[in-house]
Amino acid sequence: MKHKIFHNHNRFTLILLLSLNLSDLSAKTGSILESISSEMKHFNTIATKTKQNEHYQPYIISVFQGEKLQKLGVSNLKEALELVPGVDMATDNFNNQTPIFRGSNSLAYGQSKLFIDGVLVNNVFFDAYSEYLSLPIEMIKRVEVARGPGSKTDGVNAYAGSIHVITYAEDFKGFESKDKLVLKYGSHDYSMGGFMKTFKAEDLKLFIDFFYQKDDKKLPAGPDGLSQGVFGPNNIALSKSGNAPLWSKEYSLGINLTYKDFSIKARTLDHTGGSAYGINLALPQNSDRLKLPSHYFEVAYNKQNNNYKVDIKAGFKYDTFDSKAKLTPDNLNLGGVIFTDGIYGEHLSKQRTVYQSSYFKYSGIKNHLITAGYRFMKEETIDMSSKLSNRATGDVELVDYSDTLPFFDVDAKRNTLILSLQDEFQFSSDLSFIYGFNYEQTSYENAGIDPRVSMVYQLDSENIFKTIYSRSHRNASWQEMFTKNNRARVGNTKLKPEYVDAFEVAYIKKYTSDSYFQTNLFYLLNKDQIYNSSTDPEYKNAVDTDIYGFELEYKGNISSVDELYLNYSYVSGKTTIKDEGKRESLPNVAHQLAKGYYIYNLNNALSLSGVAKYVGSKGRVSGDTREKVKAYSTLDTSLNYKNQKYNCTLALSIKNIFNAKVTYASPPNTYIEDYAQERRNFLIAFTKEF
Amino acid sequence: MKKTFLLFLFFGTLVYGYHYDDLLLKAQASIFPKIMLLDKKLKNKLIDGKIIYTVVYDKNDYRSALNVSDFIDENHKGHFDKYEYQVNLVEFTDLSDETQASAIYALNSNQYIEKVAEIAKKKGIIAFAYDISNLKNGFLFSLMLEKSAVLYLNKENLYTQQVDFVESLFQIVKFLNANGR
Repeated sequence: MKHKIFHNHNRFTLILLLSLNLSDLSAKTGSILESISSEMKHFNTIATKTKQNEHYQPYIISVFQGEKLQKLGVSNLKEALELVPGVDMATDNFNNQTPIFRGSNSLAYGQSKLFIDGVLVNNVFFDAYSEYLSLPIEMIKRVEVARGPGSKTDGVNAYAGSIHVITYAEDFKGFESKDKLVLKYGSHDYSMGGFMKTFKAEDLKLFIDFFYQKDDKKLPAGPDGLSQGVFGPNNIALSKSGNAPLWSKEYSLGINLTYKDFSIKARTLDHTGGSAYGINLALPQNSDRLKLPSHYFEVAYNKQNNNYKVDIKAGFKYDTFDSKAKLTPDNLNLGGVIFTDGIYGEHLSKQRTVYQSSYFKYSGIKNHLITAGYRFMKEETIDMSSKLSNRATGDVELVDYSDTLPFFDVDAKRNTLILSLQDEFQFSSDLSFIYGFNYEQTSYENAGIDPRVSMVYQLDSENIFKTIYSRSHRNASWQEMFTKNNRARVGNTKLKPEYVDAFEVAYIKKYTSDSYFQTNLFYLLNKDQIYNSSTDPEYKNAVDTDIYGFELEYKGNISSVDELYLNYSYVSGKTTIKDEGKRESLPNVAHQLAKGYYIYNLNNALSLSGVAKYVGSKGRVSGDTREKVKAYSTLDTSLNYKNQKYNCTLALSIKNIFNAKVTYASPPNTYIEDYAQERRNFLIAFTKEF
Repeated sequence: MKKTFLLFLFFGTLVYGYHYDDLLLKAQASIFPKIMLLDKKLKNKLIDGKIIYTVVYDKNDYRSALNVSDFIDENHKGHFDKYEYQVNLVEFTDLSDETQASAIYALNSNQYIEKVAEIAKKKGIIAFAYDISNLKNGFLFSLMLEKSAVLYLNKENLYTQQVDFVESLFQIVKFLNANGR
């Protein structure tokens, strides 16, 4: 009996122990699985925020890491953008350098948007961001470039594309940014010094970056616009050739402050440059200058709570056009008045943008992520002055013509309200959709509804397909609306927005985790593009342009010690100038672009790299009898040494090593030899991390 | 220009290779050791009572292998759950049947991947691959950062290993076939 009880007791204990063990194992397994799921979610969040899963995103995007670009000897943001498939560069008489995406309207501003750490920095005056293109690459953690209007950030429409510059203010647990000191020296007496520093204390993080850079670049130019009669036939003899002052001097201080759910982003950029090719197309003096300062301040509240996420922002931005130059040569004859010492001018236009946006995300419905919100912007000119030499007497002393002959509308203003609604629908593990729309209203012409639908289908781990339809628009820029008393540009406040319907298809073949081949096809229907000409300088919605083409992109390795990246793009199409009844091939567009880089790691410390670019020839606008702009190829090389022990890097780069002639197209009847760009030049860069 | 275009297509079809994504390396370094803990037969794979996590690398990738090791130590601080561990860095050329390993994590190699998979199979241990394309060469797990983070398991290799995973693991993995799709 006792034995039976004892046996039953043991059996019971055994069963109990087994149950407890199983229960314990189950609890432990559950805890490990939960930990794994949590880690996967964490890394996925970082991958999405840093666009490292770009191939699975519902737009066509290229991402370049700052460290890789430094290794290639890339000096600044402009050079980084020149690596993007389908992106070419253009400039104008102010030396406003503008990336042209897929051949889209090379003479227009505002075709693309630039964001620095999520803040839109296009200046209001030109709706451009040339002053930011010289941002040193060492200050940039990552550049993300979305081609086409498929990517919308907080409701902001990007007509031809959007560029996101992420600074080292961004960091994640396990991926913290290091403090850095940078020194550079190069051709044209270029010198740069900068640093970045992070301070952390419990819930507070403060990031500061600062740089100062200058050069004395002068490039051959001319004969200038006077040779084409911009001031009439009796002044043609005064035309000059010489060096265009393209020097620059700038400093920038950026601050990013985060405290719990609140953040502040602020930057001041003081950019001064030579007057380039002259406001009036007369070759300026070396001391003539154009300042384009840009300052922004934004405060944000970002909170996630279970299925809800709210992102509220408010900010302001100031940008200024401030020119001081000799506008014409000595002895100019204007309407019988002789300007013995030439015409001097000081033009100032200061703009302010105030904005507020609120976006809500809700993920409470299974497989859906709904985003809704609004963005309100108030843009206005807050100061304008226009001083010129005495137009009546020819005396060189400046006279204030701000009231009688303003160069710009001092009352320029525009309010814009954008409403957005979007759903990201994960249909299955392989198939996802995004659909939604923006609705925009302005105090001038309303843009109406811009819908967007995209699909990403992952056939398997190696094959990904995307299809995107998106409609976007570009509001007329300040230049196109409010310019006054300018023979070459006449503002028109009745301009409608330009529209584009974009159809894009992409296929990505992943060979390995990190090597891929991508093909993109696109078809862009542009309507009501804004246009003017030398014979009819008032801006009008006069052009429809159909653009089609494809992009190929490859990234991989040939051996275990190198890296290869190549892209090729082809674009073609037709432009119809409606009021002239003309239809022609895309003018000022290179039909073929090819870029690539190769990095060879000689050892753990030393690497040699090359960046090659080919830009095809460009046809002229109709009526321009000049030969095509010639195609060109350039090769940049860089030797990079990284000392792991002392955390410092030294790079020596020689750019355009074969001294190729690079020119950007000029409009007809201006600088007939186009705008020459840099020939062979060198750069030395030193960085130290702490 | 036609030549450039054709050269481009040539490269696109022929060339493959490797390059390490820092985020992916860290994600794998963080998650793979935890997968081992879901093997009910883990105790059979301990060596001197420890988990030996062997990272196999090409000699040119020493720094990447070291980064993986450092990251594991930063995050796990000497223990995977209750098990003491040791990270072993071994070059592909030095890996053999005698190499001590409770599990193997292989970085990229043009030549030695199949050798690593064979050794892991003989030893009956889990083989993790940095590159998903190596799952068709006999490896068991890889991790990709796609629209979401995806843990891939080659089910063809599952039953050849002397591992016995808890059932609930299969709810968070995506299965691949023998051809790696």
